[in-house]
Amino acid sequence: MPKYDYLTLGLILILVTIGCFAIFSATYSTTADENNFFSRQLLWCVLGVLVMIGVSFVSLKVINRFVYWFYLFCLFLLLLVFLIGKVGQGAERWLIVGPVYVQPSELAKLATILAVSKYLSDKYADVNKIKYFSTAVVLILIPFILIARQPDLGTALVFLALIIPLLYWAGLNWFNIFTILTPLLTMILSFSFWAFMILMISIVVVLTYSRRKPIVLVAVFLLNIGVGIATPYLWNQLRPYQQKRILTFVNPEKDPKGAGYQIIQSQVAIGSGGIWGKGYLKGSQTHLRFLPAQHTDFIFSVIGEEFGFIGVSFILLVFLMLILRFIHIAAMIRGQFESLTIIGIVTVLFFHTIINIGMTIGMAPVTGLPLPFLSYGGSSLVVNLMMVGVVLNVSRNKFIH
Amino acid sequence: MNELSRQQRKARQLVFNVSVIILFLALYIGFFQIQIAGSEKYYEISLDNSVRQLTQYPVRGTVRDVNGQILVDDRPSFFVSVIPRQLTDKTIDTLASIIMEDPVLIRDKIRGKNTYRPVIIKKDLEYSIISELEERRLDLPGVLVEVESKRFYPDGVFSPHIFGYVGEVDKNEAEKNPDLEPGELIGKKGLEREYDTSLRGTKGVYFTSVDAEGRDLGIINPDRNIEAISGTDLYLTIDYNYQQFAESLMVDKRGAIVALDPRNGRVIAFVSKPDYDPRLLSGKISEEVWEKLQSDTAHPLYSRGIQSVYPPGSTYKIVAAIAALQEGIITTKWTAYCPGWFKLGRKTIHCWNAKGHGKINIRDAIIRSCNVFFYQLGLKIGIETWAKYSKMFLFGESTGFDLPNESKGLVPTYDYYIKKYGPNGWTKGNLANLAIGQGELLTTPLQMAQLAMFIANKGVVHRPHIAHYLYDKQYNERLFFPTETSYIQGISEDVYELIREAMRQVVARGTGWLGSVPGIEVAGKTGTSQNPHGEDHAWFIAFAPYEDPVIALAVIVENGGGGGAVAAPIARKCMEKYFYDRLLPRTYVKRDTTVLDSLPQIQLEDVDRLRIGISE
Repeated sequence: MPKYDYLTLGLILILVTIGCFAIFSATYSTTADENNFFSRQLLWCVLGVLVMIGVSFVSLKVINRFVYWFYLFCLFLLLLVFLIGKVGQGAERWLIVGPVYVQPSELAKLATILAVSKYLSDKYADVNKIKYFSTAVVLILIPFILIARQPDLGTALVFLALIIPLLYWAGLNWFNIFTILTPLLTMILSFSFWAFMILMISIVVVLTYSRRKPIVLVAVFLLNIGVGIATPYLWNQLRPYQQKRILTFVNPEKDPKGAGYQIIQSQVAIGSGGIWGKGYLKGSQTHLRFLPAQHTDFIFSVIGEEFGFIGVSFILLVFLMLILRFIHIAAMIRGQFESLTIIGIVTVLFFHTIINIGMTIGMAPVTGLPLPFLSYGGSSLVVNLMMVGVVLNVSRNKFIH
Repeated sequence: MNELSRQQRKARQLVFNVSVIILFLALYIGFFQIQIAGSEKYYEISLDNSVRQLTQYPVRGTVRDVNGQILVDDRPSFFVSVIPRQLTDKTIDTLASIIMEDPVLIRDKIRGKNTYRPVIIKKDLEYSIISELEERRLDLPGVLVEVESKRFYPDGVFSPHIFGYVGEVDKNEAEKNPDLEPGELIGKKGLEREYDTSLRGTKGVYFTSVDAEGRDLGIINPDRNIEAISGTDLYLTIDYNYQQFAESLMVDKRGAIVALDPRNGRVIAFVSKPDYDPRLLSGKISEEVWEKLQSDTAHPLYSRGIQSVYPPGSTYKIVAAIAALQEGIITTKWTAYCPGWFKLGRKTIHCWNAKGHGKINIRDAIIRSCNVFFYQLGLKIGIETWAKYSKMFLFGESTGFDLPNESKGLVPTYDYYIKKYGPNGWTKGNLANLAIGQGELLTTPLQMAQLAMFIANKGVVHRPHIAHYLYDKQYNERLFFPTETSYIQGISEDVYELIREAMRQVVARGTGWLGSVPGIEVAGKTGTSQNPHGEDHAWFIAFAPYEDPVIALAVIVENGGGGGAVAAPIARKCMEKYFYDRLLPRTYVKRDTTVLDSLPQIQLEDVDRLRIGISE
């Protein structure tokens, strides 16, 4: 009889429970009708946990068989939202199914992870070959483009974040990772002459010791030089307002429409919580509605204000344990498909967690990414729990004891 | 092959674990800084509960003439606004008594807004009121005195139809652009509107912390402030001294002057009279003044150079002549006989010269503006060809000029008449009228100046524009507007030569002789257009010098009378000022009639006056 992963299950239940309490606090008010956020979230929790447990018991063979169909189905839904979708408060789009609003971009995350994992776990797949490499990247870029055009750039970036961890885990060697990453670095550093020079020297040093074919070395080096020269030139070709638009995306707090205001209010809430917090339901920033989107994007600010540094540390620890646990499972199980899938899932959860929590204290841009398991929102919660269900399933069946 | 070895996986797991732990540590440090190191500061702020987001308005860009002389500037003006969430009924009453407003009005303005975003209550406050507000600050929690900039015009600057004005954002505009806040100033008319986004600049934001009494405790987090970016300065193609001179020529008249540089389409002068003092519409506009301007029967708010449409009268004979020659409908040798009248069906229509012009060819018909010749020519050309050439010369569409609300005018076609007047709507009589620029045809003065530019350039047309370049103070950079050039194809050099020569003769010895400038060869065409509003409109279009034109202009004086007598002298003065920078003393005002001895005598009062369709 395979062992069920009670540690993971426990950590998840802790997070989901805290989430419900925090949402109750964030939407708590004397008028009764506003409180249906809490009861709705409770309903989603029950549904999500049932889905999670259900998924954890489905045969892996069945999942494996339907992976590509699932992927195509999600692409279809993403196209569908363009036709009949409804634009939400941010830039995301929703499908309306009866009384329920569904965000297909959430489901597409899991579908993309499964599809890429299956593709790369093929017997002959070698991610260091251009054919397999590019196919895997294209599988990720298709949903990325569809979602970026919604235009929900925050969620779309999650897909880009998948590329390197997945391919690295699938065996991409360090030199290829180096080749992918250096032009990005060059692009950023090309605005400072000395930073650019130092980077170029480092690249030359690394290349010299890499023992690759000279033609490859020259190509990589020229690519970086080219990117370094072209970037500032192209940047200067842009009109000031275009530059501003890009800067606003990279650093949205500079957006005068109010992202800066949100972050300051969030910082005040979290900072005023101190070590021990103001106590449950006693956060003044929260209850005077100073916090923006406090039950969704800024739910962690509510926790920070009411439970203080102690509460924050505890939740961060739970997230950290969960993520390290998932990586451990990925490393310890049989089967490339299963292992890659878990790496994809952990990447998504980690990316969301860091960006969302970082945003509440002004360390990361305001992108509208929800905090997994804690933020209000049905689609996100159910899909996240579904992903955990997949992990539970794998760890139950494939663990190498 | 594809599955990693145990060892490889272990190595990769280590990389993942280390990355994850480092980022989590960063989060821990961030929270430590805020919740433990900075806790007290944030706790204080949260007690007052009072971070306030204030908008810093940018300085609006100036408008300057081609020499850099300031025409429209920005000056500070004080206004009072309130934070709805901090207001009590008592505060509202106190505030109302100080600024002498009805408290109900204040309550109306903040109705439904329970935010910390300030709402503007009253603008253009006097210094005495500001100082009283400052003194009683403690009684007025949630009341702010702020400063904004207001449009200022130096002495002697008018031209409201060029500059337009700025005004507060209205509901429609706010819906279209959520960036705009209520009470904010944006361009409403003229250049202020056309170049609004450039002139306006970008708003800044700063965050201050205030206590329960509304006292400013200073900026809390300077890193998060965003500086406003001043608007760019707009440089015009006009020399304002010249513009002032051109305006002075029209002071007691109704009408317009549009002068263009045919080499590049730049506006040299753009006059529309009557106008109003732009200072009346700067800052808070009083309803009385607005009502008065709106209801004035002389329509001073109307920019006649581009918004008013008129029948162009005989100036339009040029278009008919080009169409006829280019299509080979007549030759230059073809003549018509003008007995002073023309019988069209049961109608008799007259030439302006009742004595008639006798046997006349196209060149002389233009020079002496013979109507009978063009009635007959019109009938030969036909409506299709006539409309085709009218459209070819860009009539009936906007010129793309960079001032808003330009009228398109109207080039009637066969379909137009049928649509408007029913199946029998089209008669040949219409054509006779259209050929001499009467009837349903409507043009703007700018379109007529553009026509002068085509002929001057033999078909080359530059999009007329008044904005020369934007000057970005931040980047110390000039942004020029590209010249848009097109070419009207399909008209031969010979046709241009004939028309241009005829137009030169119009000024040298024909109906436009009062438009001649000593030492400069001027080519032009007069027009006198009938209209239902009384006296005829006087038209004159011209370009000069004949060989290499540097100015092309159109003058119209509404209900002024004959084009040759009224409009041509104005054009002459414009050109003299342009070429000599002064008006030349005129030793004699006498027509050189030596070449015209053989022709019937023309009375000055009758010049280019036409009477048609009076008798059955």
